[in-house]
Amino acid sequence: MSCILTNQTFSISELCGYGLSFSFGGLRTIYFVIALIMWTVTGIFSLEYMKHYENKKRYYVSFFLTFLATVGVFLSADLFTLYVFFEIMSLTSYVWVAFDEKKESLRAGETYLAIAIIGGMVMLMGLFLMRAAGAGQMEVSNRLLLYIAGFCLLFGFLAKAGAFPLHIWLPKAHPVAPAPASALLSGILTKTGIFGVIWISVTIFWENKAFGNGLLVLAVITMVLGGILALNSHNLKEVLACSSVSQIGFILTGISTVCILGEESVLAAKGTILHMVNHSLFKLVLFIVAGVVFMNLHKLDLNEIQGFGRKKPLLQFIYLMGALGIGGIPLFSGYISKTLLHEGLVEAGLVTAEWLFLLSGGLTVCYMIKIYVLLFLEKNKDETVQKKYDNMAKTYMNKKTAIALTVSACLLPVFGILPEYTIDKIGNYGMEFFGLEPMKEVPHYFSLENLKGGLISIGIGVVIYFAVVKLLYKKQKCYGSFLPKWLDMENKFYRPLITAVCGVCKFICRVLEGLTDGLVVLLRKTIYRDKPLPHELAEGNEFTYAVGGFMDSTVKVLNKTVYKSNPKENKNYRHKLAMYYAMIHENNKIITRSLSFGLMMFCTGLFIVLVYLLTV
Amino acid sequence: MYTLLLPILVPIMMGILLFILPEPKNRKNLLLYTGIILIFNGILVLRAVFSSVETFTLFSLHDQLSIVFKADELGKIFAVAVTIVWILAGFFAFSYMSHEKNEKRYYAFYLIVFGVLIGLDFSGNLITMYAFYEFMTLCSFPLVIHNQSKEAIMAALKYLLYSFFGAYMALFGIYFMIKYADSSVFVPGGAFGTVENQAFLLIVVFLMILGFGVKAGMFPVHGWLPTAHPVAPAPASAALSAIIVKSGVFAMIRVAYYVVGPEFIRGTWVQTVWLSLALITVFMGSMLAYGEKVFKKRLAYSTVSQVSYIVLGLALLNPIAMTGSLLHVLAHAFIKCTLFLVAGAIIFKTGCTRVDEFRGIGKKMPITMWCYTFASLGLIGIPPTGGFISKWYLATGALDSGIKIFNFLGPIVLLISALLTAGYLLPVSINAFLPGEDFDSKNVKKCEPDKYMLIPLIVLTVLSVLIGLFPNFLIQYFTNLISGLM
Repeated sequence: MSCILTNQTFSISELCGYGLSFSFGGLRTIYFVIALIMWTVTGIFSLEYMKHYENKKRYYVSFFLTFLATVGVFLSADLFTLYVFFEIMSLTSYVWVAFDEKKESLRAGETYLAIAIIGGMVMLMGLFLMRAAGAGQMEVSNRLLLYIAGFCLLFGFLAKAGAFPLHIWLPKAHPVAPAPASALLSGILTKTGIFGVIWISVTIFWENKAFGNGLLVLAVITMVLGGILALNSHNLKEVLACSSVSQIGFILTGISTVCILGEESVLAAKGTILHMVNHSLFKLVLFIVAGVVFMNLHKLDLNEIQGFGRKKPLLQFIYLMGALGIGGIPLFSGYISKTLLHEGLVEAGLVTAEWLFLLSGGLTVCYMIKIYVLLFLEKNKDETVQKKYDNMAKTYMNKKTAIALTVSACLLPVFGILPEYTIDKIGNYGMEFFGLEPMKEVPHYFSLENLKGGLISIGIGVVIYFAVVKLLYKKQKCYGSFLPKWLDMENKFYRPLITAVCGVCKFICRVLEGLTDGLVVLLRKTIYRDKPLPHELAEGNEFTYAVGGFMDSTVKVLNKTVYKSNPKENKNYRHKLAMYYAMIHENNKIITRSLSFGLMMFCTGLFIVLVYLLTV
Repeated sequence: MYTLLLPILVPIMMGILLFILPEPKNRKNLLLYTGIILIFNGILVLRAVFSSVETFTLFSLHDQLSIVFKADELGKIFAVAVTIVWILAGFFAFSYMSHEKNEKRYYAFYLIVFGVLIGLDFSGNLITMYAFYEFMTLCSFPLVIHNQSKEAIMAALKYLLYSFFGAYMALFGIYFMIKYADSSVFVPGGAFGTVENQAFLLIVVFLMILGFGVKAGMFPVHGWLPTAHPVAPAPASAALSAIIVKSGVFAMIRVAYYVVGPEFIRGTWVQTVWLSLALITVFMGSMLAYGEKVFKKRLAYSTVSQVSYIVLGLALLNPIAMTGSLLHVLAHAFIKCTLFLVAGAIIFKTGCTRVDEFRGIGKKMPITMWCYTFASLGLIGIPPTGGFISKWYLATGALDSGIKIFNFLGPIVLLISALLTAGYLLPVSINAFLPGEDFDSKNVKKCEPDKYMLIPLIVLTVLSVLIGLFPNFLIQYFTNLISGLM
């Protein structure tokens, strides 16, 4: 085994068979830094959040292991290394989801693990096929095989990223995990999936229009569906989780635009990278705000936490930074990345997708307003509860958390106001990963054309807020959901499907399994004439045993019914008959062994012979 | 010359001696005796493994009927696996068997089987191998039947029935092999010259494969495995599953690669049927394990499935797949031994046998369950553990082989089976460590087993992970070996 450090790659040969190799620079370095930032901030918050939990050790162990694995994913130079760390990450992060061992946590963990492992296996198949297709050699021998391999890998990455129809684990897993862990799950673990999707798109499907269009459809569905689900939910963390699904859709839109446009896709590529970075930061801030709420109240239902944020200006400021950022409000960082993505769509001439993009942007604005209003403006319906909430104004989070959170929240407007010095540079730096040249000039972020797109989204958001959310709130008198329960894909589709398939397979396997044993039994019953196992009786034979038993039970029954008043003595017929049998048996023996019996039989024989002679 | 016989004869003699000796008054003496012989024989085996390859004819009745020993590369791999597992499972038994009767008989036969297995691995021709194969069946019978309950007797009888059925098919094949094979010793790459009766000989080869497939638990003759494993004492089932089952694989390799030769089988119906049976077994074993609630039975079904990974690799007749097979022989030996020993430790400490009774057991026996978890990850094939590398080689070998349908079907079935493996192994870990919030974890008493149990567990777990991390010297060794075969 040896370690080799060459230009930008570091490889440890022979570890795990093929050797692991790491590479730096571009998007990899960006995400390495983001991982550091996120783990630091959530680490600081964890100290406060986890104070009252048992099993802290378990949490911190998985916290560090997942950090290492995630960094490994982002720094890996080849897909083999990536896969190794990807699998480790999936397993160690499971502990987060199932951490508090509540029923729903364990169930969500089950879903998470199932999707992670299924995804992992499909990815492994992709790696096998890729090898078989001759990827990495000068000439790819089998293009179709390579595409199938690409789809297999994509499946695994999309599952981790939470794209439709594999998004089901996300809205279940994020709410039940401890808040710092949900921030990481949503902020950075989903990005490992995106990282892989980009990798596959630019290596295997580069400039492949059909693929780009297919991915675009998935991306748009994910984007819109996530928004609707977020609006539908009435659990703070679930709203954020669904919002993650939606934002992942935005990022995927960017990737598919890149695939469609090919060389000319600089804007979309930059938008993708920036939205990844932005979303990591938004979700860091927002999930920690949710964590602060949960830490104090141990509740997440929107109706119960209503009014918690009142008289807490710092929390309000932090939330606003995150919300305005993710909503794509001009002068905040989300606006920059969304503008770029939007421009990419315009460039590709995809009108429907563009409008759905703006609609999803509107949905984002809408659910962020909804949470802002209920958390910071409205009062709780129960006045005593509201008083309690107001009294928490000084103690709701400690200084360290406040500082870490404020610093990360302040990044967002800084990025938004001075894009050309900050975030634009990051975008250019990461561009290499797409194999594209960085842009020379900075786009006009605040041109009228671009502002229009942002404003349309905001407009849609506000309209939806007043038309749907407010109206619904008035009708239901609380924040509830409007989608029927049977739309739950996990419970109504995936789980029954798996149960059914498993049931059928199990039946077939049972039959197969029984074949040989059945044959053996059949042979024993027919050719070998198997007898039942010898059952030694203490006395008598089977006949006396059976008849005696019957008589005994008859006496018992009669004693209980007919002779109730005057029961007969139980004579134990089994024994009695056995005695008779033994006596007869003995007598028989005496008789058959005697000489007289022999003579008698001899006589009988002679007689029969005589009869035979006479008759024939 | 005769030194090759030492690791075979020493444990057999000592086992017989132990059997004859009166029951020792002090249990410690018995353990000391067994322990010393196990370790001493381990050293003898290692000595044989690191010495050069030599052929040694003990005696011959006839030109073609001779008892020959030869420690070649393949035999050495298996001998090392046998030694590691046998010593560790032996030490585990020191603690586990303290609750059982007839300890002396157990150790006596345990030692005898050790010698017989080394003999099997070092045998130089089919006749010798067959003789040791039969000895192995007979001598391992008392291990299965050990607790003498009616269930154990029935299971052991089933084990005998299947084993003899297989052995007779193999014997039938040997009659023909002796006539047709050019040489009376194993020849890497096969000893078949040009043969006239090819169609007939293919049937013979198939019968031999099926016959040895009985021990390897290959469908449709796997039936003894899930019956015999659960009733045997845990260290015995660990040894059965890790080693005895592998001797079926070993015999298959000998027949297919050292007597008949891969070229003779390649592309014939024998290969197709062999592959199909292996794939069916892989899937069926996993599926049945997935639905099984008795822990040891679940592990037994898992063995059925996992050993057929190895058989699949053999049947592909491809160097890469074969490398995967040999890697999986080692990985599975260590992993399955760990898993069965964990089952033993749980039974010994808590008496629980069903998986639904394992709730919260990770709080009582954390080290044991961590060993279980790591071994499980290895069996599923999560990197960077042992099972991952072997699976990688098996699947890429399948894709490389270019056999129509099977080159894709193989990896797919392997992965589905891996998924099911995750489905039947991981929930046990989860249930053990995350029993749910209503579980009263404050009043749990730690009941970690003693060092005789823990050290073998830890050593085996570490080995199974190390195979995954640093497989290259093994791969190098296997590649050299296989280049002589194909």
